[in-house]
Amino acid sequence: MHHKARLLIFIIVLMLGTGLVAQDMDEPQYAGLDMDLSGINIRMANIGGGTYEAMYESIPIFEEATGATVEIVALLDGFAIDQKLKVDFATGAADYDVAWDHTSFMAQYTDFLLPLNDYFSEEELVAFSPAILDAATVDGNLYLIPRHADISPIHYRLDLYESEEIAAEYLAATGEELTVPTTLEQIDRQARFFVENGHSTFGYTLAGRDEALNGRFYELVFASGGAMFDENWEPVFNSEIGVAVAELLHGWYRDSIIPADTTSLVWDGVAQYFCNGDTAIKLEWYGWYAWFQDPANCPAISNNFGLARGFTGLSIGGDNVRPTGWAGAHAFSVPATAPNAEAGIQLIKFLSSERVSYEEAQLGYLPVRNDVWDRIIADAEMAENPLDKERLVLAKLQIAEDFKTPPLIAEWIPFSNLLYPKLQAIMLGDVGAQEALDQAAVETRELMADAGYYG
Amino acid sequence: MSSQSRAQSGSDIQDRRVTDGRISARWFPLFMLLPALIFILVIMLFPLIYSLYVSFTPYELLKPNSLNFELSRALRNYQKLFADAIFWKSVGNTIVFLFLSINLSYVIALGLSQLLARVTRGQGIMRTLLMVPMMFAPILVGFQFRWFFNANVGLVNNLLYSLGLMQERGQIAWLVDEPLGMFSIIVASIWMNLPVLTIILLAGTLSLPQETFEAADVDGANSWQQFRFITFPLLAPFSYIALTILSLDISRAFDIVRIMTDGGPAHRTELIWTYVTRLAIENTKFGLGSAMSWVTVVLAVAFTLYFFRQLVRSRVVQ
Repeated sequence: MHHKARLLIFIIVLMLGTGLVAQDMDEPQYAGLDMDLSGINIRMANIGGGTYEAMYESIPIFEEATGATVEIVALLDGFAIDQKLKVDFATGAADYDVAWDHTSFMAQYTDFLLPLNDYFSEEELVAFSPAILDAATVDGNLYLIPRHADISPIHYRLDLYESEEIAAEYLAATGEELTVPTTLEQIDRQARFFVENGHSTFGYTLAGRDEALNGRFYELVFASGGAMFDENWEPVFNSEIGVAVAELLHGWYRDSIIPADTTSLVWDGVAQYFCNGDTAIKLEWYGWYAWFQDPANCPAISNNFGLARGFTGLSIGGDNVRPTGWAGAHAFSVPATAPNAEAGIQLIKFLSSERVSYEEAQLGYLPVRNDVWDRIIADAEMAENPLDKERLVLAKLQIAEDFKTPPLIAEWIPFSNLLYPKLQAIMLGDVGAQEALDQAAVETRELMADAGYYG
Repeated sequence: MSSQSRAQSGSDIQDRRVTDGRISARWFPLFMLLPALIFILVIMLFPLIYSLYVSFTPYELLKPNSLNFELSRALRNYQKLFADAIFWKSVGNTIVFLFLSINLSYVIALGLSQLLARVTRGQGIMRTLLMVPMMFAPILVGFQFRWFFNANVGLVNNLLYSLGLMQERGQIAWLVDEPLGMFSIIVASIWMNLPVLTIILLAGTLSLPQETFEAADVDGANSWQQFRFITFPLLAPFSYIALTILSLDISRAFDIVRIMTDGGPAHRTELIWTYVTRLAIENTKFGLGSAMSWVTVVLAVAFTLYFFRQLVRSRVVQ
């Protein structure tokens, strides 16, 4: 017996030892460090603000290994970078080697970007999610190297959904159980209930300006079985479904279900309302997760929120309803005029490497690499908070099944700029939904005709 | 030398022509100004003329081939613009903004300058404090007032809430509601305008002849009568200069509006400057944006001519 015990201990020690060695060998690796770039200054236009800046802490490792220096020439929010890129491309002033980019923006300026197919081998690309690489590709040209997946789950406050009193009150008021919503109609009923009964200052929160509002509208329309354009690129968002969604948004604004300053909000403003515990439900990307869970930042909701798959749209869509899933990816591109394109590409290889992606995923961002997914799900098995793992499983499911980019056309942003003020006017009650959407459809048709869509 | 011969000699000098390759006295000043003129031509005139040309083309920022002039389509941008309801809304908003911002700035600055002129101790410190808003870039003023008027975490709403004047936080959407959005950007603009206006009017007030006021005292005029019938009319040239500078400079408010409301929501605070940016940069319709810029230039020139005419008239009256 004694001998058997010693043998067992020996086997365990051996297994642990080989496990550690294997783990060492299996450490996520950096990439892009295999080239001597001494004396080269790589200029980079980057996204900033929010929780982004923590991501640039890895850059000194790249500088030390390659001898290059990295100069961040712009640190702007996503919409501001989009405008900077347009102006710089048009004026030939894009004298930087790497630019932050997004799958929703990229189609506008493919003529000014360097196709990256020849710079990334199949082995390098195989780690990335194929759906996201597709979203980064136009006419067979890979213009972006993805960095973070961008898709939104429902965020909801646990204190509202775990309270027996509130559940009983909701049952009495509506005749249905208070469960995490799975349809837009449920969202509407629950959000109104929470506000009208004083359980939450606001029932729902959404971004209300720029392409952010347009994207949310697009998402609610396609989740309700509708579309923005038909197969001939004729605008159809002024359909019954589009009008119903727009009227829903107006009703929320009119009845103070959403904040009074919704039309001023973009992502950080929406996140702030949730962080303050002022809103019951919202649809928002995963990137704020670590920030929300930190009690130093958000004591009202730290360990007090849950995540769920996007809801299906309005039931008037019949069998065509589907879960929300407006999606895309944050990414990197290389301007065609980059003075040090190859060095810039090395930096992109580094920043999109397994190791950096893994480190960024630990900040809460959704990775776009399958190898990193495996790691972070394995890590989350040991996490104290079960939501750490649930969110990853959920995100993977959403990316696999619900991921839907906006049309990858150059006109998407000009179209968004045309439509979102009309949506704001509808929300604010300045004009009726049908009238505003009809007017927007006329203007959209003119935009598309000018761009040569109708022959 | 008699005065007649001196005059003759001066005339000879003036009429001297280039005979030996040197520049005549008549052309010398122009020659000295030439570098500046070339600089102005290159830096200012060329872009202006070029943008006028662009305004007659369908040029889109990211489509270099669209920079084509076609006579049959030359006026299309202007036609589109004049048929665009948002354009007219932005013109209307801009007139309201200019009228209120400039006039309210002037009235407040006039009051401040009169108070400052009567300060006997610490005037230097007060003048320095008054200059503080000038040290802020307009974009920072925009951020500062955006925070003041933020519905959720803003200073104004939290102050109202703390004082019990508001039942719930975030009830008043200063940057959204009509006419609060316009009010908010006008407040920020006035805050930025005040120093320059006040300093000019203060300088004017301090330069007024004291004898006139002493005579008015002897005649028994009270302070209001002295201000109404002496100070205000005598300050007219200073007022018009200040207002002209302000009206030319007020387009700096673009940064403020861009940061605070970006012309929204639903174009409620859209000004011609924000709409030009929306058309030319965000929507990449640079030809259309240039056409609108030119309409703006015409409006600005008309505005300036009006002020200069008033300035000249006020001097004639004096």
